Amino acid sequence: MLQTRHFQQNALLGLLPEKELEHLLPHLEEVSLTLGQSLSESGRHMSHVYFPLDAIVSLLCVMENGDSTEIAVVGHEGLVGVSQFMGGETTLTSAIVQSAGQAYRLKSHLLKREFDRAGTMQRLLLRYTQALLTQMAQTAVCNRHHSLDQQLCRWLLLSLDRLPGNELIMTQELIANMLGVRREGVTESAGKLQKAGLISYNRGHITVLDRQGLEDRVCECYAGVKNEYDRLLKYPAVTVAC
Amino acid sequence: MISISHAINTNRLLADLPSAEQAALAACCEVVPLAFGEVLYQPTDTVTYAYFPINSFVSNIVILNNDSRLEVTMAGLEGMLGIALVLGFNKAPLLAVVQGAGVALRIPASQFQALLPTSPALHQRLMRYLYIVMNQLANSAACIHFHRIEERLARWLLMTQDRAQSDHLQLTHEFLAMMLGVRRAGITLAALALQQRGLISYHRGDIIILDRSGLVAAACQCYTQDCALYANAMATP
Repeated sequence: MLQTRHFQQNALLGLLPEKELEHLLPHLEEVSLTLGQSLSESGRHMSHVYFPLDAIVSLLCVMENGDSTEIAVVGHEGLVGVSQFMGGETTLTSAIVQSAGQAYRLKSHLLKREFDRAGTMQRLLLRYTQALLTQMAQTAVCNRHHSLDQQLCRWLLLSLDRLPGNELIMTQELIANMLGVRREGVTESAGKLQKAGLISYNRGHITVLDRQGLEDRVCECYAGVKNEYDRLLKYPAVTVAC
Repeated sequence: MISISHAINTNRLLADLPSAEQAALAACCEVVPLAFGEVLYQPTDTVTYAYFPINSFVSNIVILNNDSRLEVTMAGLEGMLGIALVLGFNKAPLLAVVQGAGVALRIPASQFQALLPTSPALHQRLMRYLYIVMNQLANSAACIHFHRIEERLARWLLMTQDRAQSDHLQLTHEFLAMMLGVRRAGITLAALALQQRGLISYHRGDIIILDRSGLVAAACQCYTQDCALYANAMATP
C-alpha cells in the first residue's frame, strides 16, 4: 500500500488502473537524479524513460554551436521520453536534470509495449503529449515576445509547481542555459525579483518568498501552460475502452 | 476537383497505407477546397474535422492576449491538421489558417477517431507524424530564439515552396512579419538582402524563388534538419 502511494507521486502512474500498474511494477526502477545529469542527448537512442517523482527535468533544444534553450519542463506530472512510444528512434532534444530528486525509470521498449496495448496508458500518454506540445508552442512564443523578467517568473513558477517545497537549488549559469540568454541577464532579472521581495537568492539557492508576487508579474504563458496540465490531470483517465 | 483516391495517394501520410485502410478512409472523407486566409480552427474551438492537405498548406499559430502572433508549425501534403483528435481531445490548441489555397481531404472528427483503432498502419504513421511535429516545434522554439531574420525567412520560404510546389509565392511583408514574429521593417531588410544575393525576386507581395540551392545555403540549419527528420522518421520500419 505504501509502495503504491509512492508510485502515485507521479501523476501518470497514479492515474493508471491497478491492473495496468501491475504490468509495470516489476519493471520500474527507482533512481536518484542529480543536478545537471543528462538523461538523453540529441541524436542518441534513449534506453530508458523516466517518470519523475520530485525531480525536475528540463527539455532543451541544443543548436550546432552549443547555444541551448529550454522548450519544456517535466516533473511529477509527466514523463521524460515521449518520443519512445511514438516510434521515433532517437530524440532531438536533450533532457537535463534541473532539480535533483527521485524518479522511476523504465526500459524504453517496455513503455512502447504498454502503449501498444491501447489501454489507459496509451490514452494518458497521448493526453500528456498534448499538454507538452502546448507548453512547447507557448515557450516558443514567450521567448520571442516577452521580457526576460517575465520569462524568469514563468520559469520559477513552473518549477515551483513541480517541487515539494519553495526552494530551488540552481546556478544562474544553468538558468541562463535554460532561457537561452547570457548569465548577466539572469543576474539582473533575479536581482530585480529579489529587490521586490519575491525571491531570495543565495549561492545557488533560490527561495520563493512571495508566489503571488511572481504570478502578478508573469506573462500569460504561465497560466496557458498550467491550465492545459490541470485539464490533463482532471480528465477521467479510467474509462472503459470501447 | 481531384478524385478521392488520387488525393489519398498524394498526401504522404496516407499514400502508402494498405488498400483496406485506404478504402475505409475513402468511405468517410471528401475533397474540399481551402481558400487563402480561411480559418480551420480557432484556439479552444471544437475540432469538427481532420484535414489532410493535398496541394494546400496551413499554418499553426499561437496568439497572445495583445494579439501578437507567431507561426510554430506548418502542414501541407506531408502532414495533417487536427492532431488533437489523435491525442484524444477535441479542442484545438492553436489557430490554424490556410496559407496556400488548394484542396484537402476532410474527415468528420468522430469518424476519424473511430477509424484509428481499426487502422493500425494509419495510427502508426500518425504517431510518427506526432514525433516529427514535436521535434519541429522544439527546433522552432530554438530557431525563433537564436537565428537571424534573414536565415529564418530563407527557411520559411523553402518550407512554403515545398508545400506550395511552386516557385511563385504571394506573400505580403505584413503577413511574413506576423508569421516570423518580427517587425515589418525587419522583413523588408531581410527580403532585400536575399534579393540582392539573387536568391529571390520580390515585388509587391510576389516572391519568386530564383535560386533554391542558394536559399538552402542562406537558411539556418533548421531547414535541412527538418527535412532529414521527416525522411528518417517516415522511413523507419
